[in-house]
Amino acid sequence: MMNLILTKTLKCCKLKLNNIQKLELNISAPLNAFWERDEKGGYADNRKLPPRTQMIRDGFKELKHEIALWSQEMKEKFECDPILDYRAGETDIVWNFESPNALQQWVITSDSDHNEGHSKCDLVVNKYGKGLFTGFLNTDVPDDGRIKRAGYCNMRTLRARKSFKRDSYLEWAPYNLLVMKVRGDGRSYMLNITTKGRFDLTWNDTYHYVLYTRGGPYWQVSKIPFSKFFFTSKGRIQDRQYAIPLNRVTHFGISVGDKIKGGFSLEIDYIGLEYNPNHTEEFAYEMYQTEKFIVAT
Amino acid sequence: MIRKSALLGILNYCKYGMLHKLLVINNFPQTHFHTSTGHRKDPVSKDIVIYENFESIENKSKKTYLEMIKIFETRGTHRTGHVEFIYSALKNMKEFNVEKDLEVYKALIDVLPKGKFIPTNMFQAEFMHYPKQQQCAIDLLEQMEDNAVLPDKEVETMLLNIFGKRGYPLRKLWRIMYWMPKFKNLSPWPVPQPLPNDTLELAKLAVARIGSVDIQTQISVFQSKDIPEALEDTWIVSAQSPTQCRLLSEHDVSQPIYVEGRFRIWMKNVPITYFILRGDAKIAPRSVVDLDDVSNISVPFFSYGIPPKQDIVPVPSVHEQEDGVIFAVCVTGTSGRDSLLSWIRHLEKNGNPNLASIPVVFTLKSPEKDLANIETAVATEK
Repeated sequence: MMNLILTKTLKCCKLKLNNIQKLELNISAPLNAFWERDEKGGYADNRKLPPRTQMIRDGFKELKHEIALWSQEMKEKFECDPILDYRAGETDIVWNFESPNALQQWVITSDSDHNEGHSKCDLVVNKYGKGLFTGFLNTDVPDDGRIKRAGYCNMRTLRARKSFKRDSYLEWAPYNLLVMKVRGDGRSYMLNITTKGRFDLTWNDTYHYVLYTRGGPYWQVSKIPFSKFFFTSKGRIQDRQYAIPLNRVTHFGISVGDKIKGGFSLEIDYIGLEYNPNHTEEFAYEMYQTEKFIVAT
Repeated sequence: MIRKSALLGILNYCKYGMLHKLLVINNFPQTHFHTSTGHRKDPVSKDIVIYENFESIENKSKKTYLEMIKIFETRGTHRTGHVEFIYSALKNMKEFNVEKDLEVYKALIDVLPKGKFIPTNMFQAEFMHYPKQQQCAIDLLEQMEDNAVLPDKEVETMLLNIFGKRGYPLRKLWRIMYWMPKFKNLSPWPVPQPLPNDTLELAKLAVARIGSVDIQTQISVFQSKDIPEALEDTWIVSAQSPTQCRLLSEHDVSQPIYVEGRFRIWMKNVPITYFILRGDAKIAPRSVVDLDDVSNISVPFFSYGIPPKQDIVPVPSVHEQEDGVIFAVCVTGTSGRDSLLSWIRHLEKNGNPNLASIPVVFTLKSPEKDLANIETAVATEK
């Protein structure tokens, strides 16, 4: 890393010394204001692909699972037996960590993945069969002159999908509460519900809310109404707020980035959903009429 | 040729961070003068250096910080380089310990001239009139936001006088004023602001927060030296509710209980180490009944009897969890093994005579370390 910075610096110096006339050389970040090319915003997966023969072999192995998934889907379609009654006070568990391949649902990221910080984190299953999201949040900013702030760790589910890797959405529309049984360490965590859309403008649509944890040896059950989630894109709260479209949920995630350097641990028993008929609030944030061309500019 | 060598000299000199100033002084043609951060400064040093810089001040306090601002304001009528000055001031806030002070932010905003940056026509308003200055004010507001400093009405008035009602800093301010108060008091476990500096007070707060799970929890502060054979002299903040006392008295004396730790609870940015007294889980595993199995339905009308005992259990208290029964929680001044021993002795004296006969196992992870607290937290932050 240090070497890279050094060579970059040397290059810059060279350019400066040799062609003074070329001072307009611009190395600031390009502004792609009109459209976005990359869904990942430039954060590509740099892992090397396995050899082609291996990939073909793996592909055939996947085919088996996909066909099984597809036949299950077809069976459900012909049975035509949807849930009609979502009973009040009953929590339907969406994710827990009891099954052996529960961890495959989750993607763990932190700022050190792309050399943008020094945080480290991991998601493991502990001996009681609970998920333990733990690590060290490091707010030290790397010395590359590009990063302004650092320190986040994140866990996120894979995109909801159907058989043959077709994108789909999580079926959350009948519910109005998010229920989590967790045991935290007194930090506040951020819950992120992504509603990724088809167009580049909606690729980063995310709804957030805070998960406060008590800390200590006791479990807590947090019930958070979906009406409280506020709308952001790329980490910025948007001026025009909308209630979360629960039929368009693609990912769910928990992140920690509360600017406090140190270790963190969040134990998760389950993440579930509930329908509470007494909660009638649709959206918690009021909107005001402002002058023209002030909002969302 | 001469000019080129002169420029080369300046570029060498610019490694010390004075390029832009010298360029202005020497009055070179500025047609190629580009202001992106890429080459104006040496990429290694990101600092914006001014002559009387904040770094060179020895006595770093709010008073000297405000004095610096005053010196800058009175230095000349034009206040040249005010954007650079504000950025440099923002960068040095932590060292002066003023990053949470609204008054300081107001003094910094006040450096900007009033009236000059207000757009006078729609084109100026649309295309971000005086963009460097506006961006500087936005960055200042963002730093306020990051440090959880809520602006007031006066900040709005000042920014209105500087940038006019269509200024981008105003939009940022209105966003802050909409969202920040919404989340300010949202936490169900609020901590006093600012946090107390005393470790004992922090420990009391932490134990009270853990104990808030049971409304009957009683928090007591013991001194370890009250136990005659104690080696350490420190305080112990302990929490136990009457329910926990009852659970401990019902505990089978042949089964061991465990003192476990070190666990961490964060009070805002201060980690507090706590320990628990835990027994094995009491909750009987639920018998799994397949409700869809219709091969053997019991009809209560024909086969009435007293239901099996495991079907009727008292509602477990909050302290009886799947992974164990929690009998008490404590924070001690040293987090040492000896102080925990004193804690057990104190608990025995205060309503848990059963502890004399129950084997207590200490399963501690690295008990030699000191209680991580304010000093270490501040040190690690730096």
